[in-house]
Amino acid sequence: MFRFIVRRLIVTIPMVLIVISLTWALIRLAPGNFYASDKKLPAAIEKNIRAKYGLDKPWYVQYGRMMGNILQLDFGNSLKYENETVNDILKRTVPVSAALGTCAYLLALVVGICFGTLAALKQNSKLDYASMGVAMLGISLPNFVLGPILVLVFSLSLYWLPPARWGGFPSWNLLLPVLTLSAVYMAYIARLTRAGMLEVLRSDYIRTARAKGLTERQVVMRHALRGGLLPVVSFTGPALAILITGTVVVERIYAMPGLGNYFINANLNRDEPLILGIVAFTSIMVLIFNLLVDVAYGFIDPRIRY
Amino acid sequence: MAEAKTARLLTFVLAAALLAASCAPRDRHNEFFGKVEPPQGQVLRYITGSEPESLDPQMSSGQPEARLDIALYEGLVEYHPKTMEAIPGIAERWTIDQDASEFVFFLRKNAKFSNGDPITARDFVYTLRRGLRPELASRIAYLAWDIKYAEAFNTGGAFVRDPKTNRFLLASEAPPHAEEGATAEVVPASSSSTAPAASPDEETLFKKELSMKGEDAAPDTEFHKRIHAPERLVVPEDEKDREKALKADPKLAALVAGKEFVPVTAEDIGVEAVDDYTLRITLRQPAPYFLGLVPHQFFRAVSEKAIEQWGVNWTKPEHIITSGSFMLSEHKPYNQIVVVKNPYYWDAASVRLDKIYFYPLEDNTTMMNLYKAGEVDATFNHTVPASWLKSGVRYVKDYMDAPENASAYWQLNTTKPPMNDKRVRKALSISIDRIALADYRVVSKPNSAFVPQGILHGYPSPQGFGLDVEEAKRLLAEAGYKDASGKYDPTKFPAELVEITYNTNESNKQIAEFVQAQWKQNLGITISLRNVEWKTYLNMRSKLEYKGIAGGAGWVGDYMDPYTYLGLFATAGGDNGTGWYDPKYVQMLTAANREPEQSKRYAMLSKAEEYLLDAAPVIPLLKPATSWMKKPYVKGLYPNPGTLHAWKFVYIEHDPAKWDQGMPDMTTDDLAAR
Repeated sequence: MFRFIVRRLIVTIPMVLIVISLTWALIRLAPGNFYASDKKLPAAIEKNIRAKYGLDKPWYVQYGRMMGNILQLDFGNSLKYENETVNDILKRTVPVSAALGTCAYLLALVVGICFGTLAALKQNSKLDYASMGVAMLGISLPNFVLGPILVLVFSLSLYWLPPARWGGFPSWNLLLPVLTLSAVYMAYIARLTRAGMLEVLRSDYIRTARAKGLTERQVVMRHALRGGLLPVVSFTGPALAILITGTVVVERIYAMPGLGNYFINANLNRDEPLILGIVAFTSIMVLIFNLLVDVAYGFIDPRIRY
Repeated sequence: MAEAKTARLLTFVLAAALLAASCAPRDRHNEFFGKVEPPQGQVLRYITGSEPESLDPQMSSGQPEARLDIALYEGLVEYHPKTMEAIPGIAERWTIDQDASEFVFFLRKNAKFSNGDPITARDFVYTLRRGLRPELASRIAYLAWDIKYAEAFNTGGAFVRDPKTNRFLLASEAPPHAEEGATAEVVPASSSSTAPAASPDEETLFKKELSMKGEDAAPDTEFHKRIHAPERLVVPEDEKDREKALKADPKLAALVAGKEFVPVTAEDIGVEAVDDYTLRITLRQPAPYFLGLVPHQFFRAVSEKAIEQWGVNWTKPEHIITSGSFMLSEHKPYNQIVVVKNPYYWDAASVRLDKIYFYPLEDNTTMMNLYKAGEVDATFNHTVPASWLKSGVRYVKDYMDAPENASAYWQLNTTKPPMNDKRVRKALSISIDRIALADYRVVSKPNSAFVPQGILHGYPSPQGFGLDVEEAKRLLAEAGYKDASGKYDPTKFPAELVEITYNTNESNKQIAEFVQAQWKQNLGITISLRNVEWKTYLNMRSKLEYKGIAGGAGWVGDYMDPYTYLGLFATAGGDNGTGWYDPKYVQMLTAANREPEQSKRYAMLSKAEEYLLDAAPVIPLLKPATSWMKKPYVKGLYPNPGTLHAWKFVYIEHDPAKWDQGMPDMTTDDLAAR
């Protein structure tokens, strides 16, 4: 197990570096630059800017300098927000996105697993149909539709909850974005749980457990859930990685100062250091969460050993 | 059956919830939009647009930043809250010499920075010298290029000195350039297109005027004499650039051979602190619009102490020193910027607000949601989405719709066929029904000239382009798109060479589709549409890589003068997104700017605009409306043409009897009912 983890972590580093290099090349290929604006800049001013940011050097010098800095974990200053380093921005925005993402995912897990399990236990009952119907709605209703509906009802008509903006953690401002964000995951988890549980409940070892005379509660909680949740576990890794690194749409609708909002703007602004920083962070998160999922498998599924 | 029932039940519940929500009891003031509840005390919550690039006034170009800078920094002069004309700021008065090439500002003695240090003329000298430093690489430094040698310093120029006589070569000694297009590159400082080198005669004229000055003028100094000496020749300081420039101009190369090159320094530019409270700015040529430019953030006072100590980090809340009516207390990017009243501000007694929360936001719907829910008190311009306008928001009493100092137009690629033919460009322009377009866009107004008509007081706008389909067809036939009988034939028009390229944006799309339909109807030609992302669009436009039409352009005036628009096309070599350049046009503008009398100058500028419209490198379309919201209890916040607000005049009115019932009165000249 330990060797497996170490091996995977070592592979992570070159993978992240490759991702960064590819991203760097893609930014360079994209038309436009960070300083262009509506009024065409006089050539002399453009020259000043290019000199200031070292863009007048050959590409390999620029690439080398960028890589050198990144290897020291220094992404430099944002090009758009001059007095902020990329590291500062990450430090500030990741907690926001992570708070939002983890809350949403925890909510999704609790509600999704409960309803999924109940639906599986009472297959073809009204409860099953109702919860799976709602789940279908949750999956097919995109969050840019659900978000405004929630705002319309709870903020603009009932005036109960603020319609947007970050209000610290915890605060009422978080409620609507968390609900919006978790809807899809909740629905997906419910369906995954139901499917997993249905399969497990028909397997031999559950029959054995029942034959041993265990109560239904013990059968479900101790034996069935462990196997039935495996699909949810493998879904959790990438899902959490995405949630923590920022969700563009929800952060936009609710004006959250999270990573997702920065990421989209960094791309639109051609803010190279910031794009590279966020891409590096995101890829590290994805790799780590996938590793965690694999490790978790080892604990949950008795058939898997490393 | 069971599923169907459940589904029906669910639908019903959802519908009922929505219905209940929409019928929920609303507040009393439903002639206003959403909740109307003034905040406690004198606090304003304002949405100013996206996160500012920087709180450094010399480093930010946009309007969101301009609004913040007005709170944090004070200029020599300020914007009038209603008309946006220059009113006294740190300068209590000023004098302008006869030909508008020298401005003397007399500073008030009680102006202070937020740390209590006095603000003197030296601080403005520092501010301008620093803003123009090439290493700072400010994108808006060009705004100050009218100051003598400012462009030379900002672009890394060097004077040329004869080592034998120790005399500097003069701009007038430089050989005239064969080709206009090369001008800017060869001698960036002294003879860019907007500023043809002054001839020796003109220099003597300057001197004459100098002696004619009234008794109010500041005393003559060594520096003053030096800055008024005939303009020196400037070449690039950088050796490689210089070699390139000299190679292109052998006559110039011969002239400067064997001479020394002395870099232009910050001390050379025409800004002088005559004494602690007298600042003299000398321009390289007459610029009557210059005073209107001085309230721009680029000219607002910054603190040398903070900048030299903290470098790029000086704008962080813990380091910043400001000069305006407010000071920074908190800056959480993408979340909020909080400013509080500056106790050291010279006019602190009349500042009514204690605190302003600026919320940096980007999504218009989110902004309007916050406004409706009563979480913000006012928004910036163009915040009301088109669909909300149509659904009646423009009829509520807190909707602000004022004419804007802006012009929406399309640019044409005059370097490629068929748009390299003036007749084609004009024909397309006069086959658009601008009145119908404006109607379709709800709050915009039609604009048939380039400078927005009727916004700039006293400027006689040319008539511009009407709707004349017959004339358009005649022009196109004349341009060669005709059948055997000589009549206009749409099938001959190379529509495949033309494309309306615009940056992805709902309103750009609406306008493009509308005009596309008009051309199809009026001229029988189908022009295709293409939308690209903003930076890609800018790239295509500046490299003239677009086919025919760049359809996302617009310009918000930097100051209240037609020159802010007309100057856009005075760029050497047509570096303005259209490829159009005409030295005669530049001469017309320069001549107009030398005219001291305002009405005559405007008439001359109007002639120049007519000349520009006749050449038709642009298709003018609309005058945008400012279109924003303000709760009735916010007073002193006026729908001015630039949506730039003098925050010191704004306050919260807690007495509902005194609330605004509609747009505030813009005709009286009082400053916020003081």
